[in-house]
Amino acid sequence: MRYSTDLLAKSPESVLVGLSRTGNRDAFAELVTRRQTWIRNLMRRCCGDTSFADDLSQLVFMQAWRSIRQLNDAKRFGPWLKRLAINTWLQHKRRNDPLRAADEHSDADTTHRDQTGIAMDLDKALATLPDDVRLCIVLNYHERMTHAEIESYTGMPLGTIKSHIRRGAKKLQDELSAYATIAEETK
Amino acid sequence: MNTECDPKLAALFAEAETELGDPAFAKNVMHSIDSERRKTLLVWGALLIAALACAALVAAPLVTALDMATGLLPTSLVSVETDWLQELLAPVNSIAAALALGFLAVRMFYRRVFR
Repeated sequence: MRYSTDLLAKSPESVLVGLSRTGNRDAFAELVTRRQTWIRNLMRRCCGDTSFADDLSQLVFMQAWRSIRQLNDAKRFGPWLKRLAINTWLQHKRRNDPLRAADEHSDADTTHRDQTGIAMDLDKALATLPDDVRLCIVLNYHERMTHAEIESYTGMPLGTIKSHIRRGAKKLQDELSAYATIAEETK
Repeated sequence: MNTECDPKLAALFAEAETELGDPAFAKNVMHSIDSERRKTLLVWGALLIAALACAALVAAPLVTALDMATGLLPTSLVSVETDWLQELLAPVNSIAAALALGFLAVRMFYRRVFR
């Protein structure tokens, strides 16, 4: 059954999830439209390359479409999608993904389409961090996840997560000290 | 608990968040989903055709083999002269009974050793 775009745009997310579970493509397209900013930004912070982040985000949504029938509680779509996104990123880091080459970029070939100056500088600073440290920092600062949540999503030990976040935050503070100075001056 | 969040850094992360309402992205996702679905259908179609071809090829030999097995299974292992004794022992004195006993023995051995 086809529903009008307006009706879908006004529908709550749980309804869209329910419709997507029955195979409704339009409802899923609306979910993608609503959630793309969040997932694409998360992937951008994780990998630092906008094009590659969009490719990974696309994989996340494709995976979501394939397995949305397994989602029993439609209200848990957000956390479920976040878990898919993190798993997609972890899988990409673990296996020798053909797309991986795109992530091992230099500053010269990094694309930053529709990125603000802060976003570009933040991504550059994040790129200086080791993979695990960067992931912990992104989940903690971008996703506002607690250490325990990061542990449950990534499977890393709690002590390691705490040390990664402490170390990563210190490095970022050093790299982005200019922004802190500007913020102080504007106060 | 999350106790070590630097507020300045958190503010930078919040400021770096870019609004991405690009309709092309959603279209690309749906296009990829469609093409993946088409590929899956093609693969399943090819597998179905291959399975049907295999079934057509092995159907005749399979029926012959089943026919032979059906004729062979009730064959007595030990011939007994007396008719009524032959009938009485038929359930245990046959190739089928030997196979069934063999299967039960293997299963019991497997359960003892591996469970």
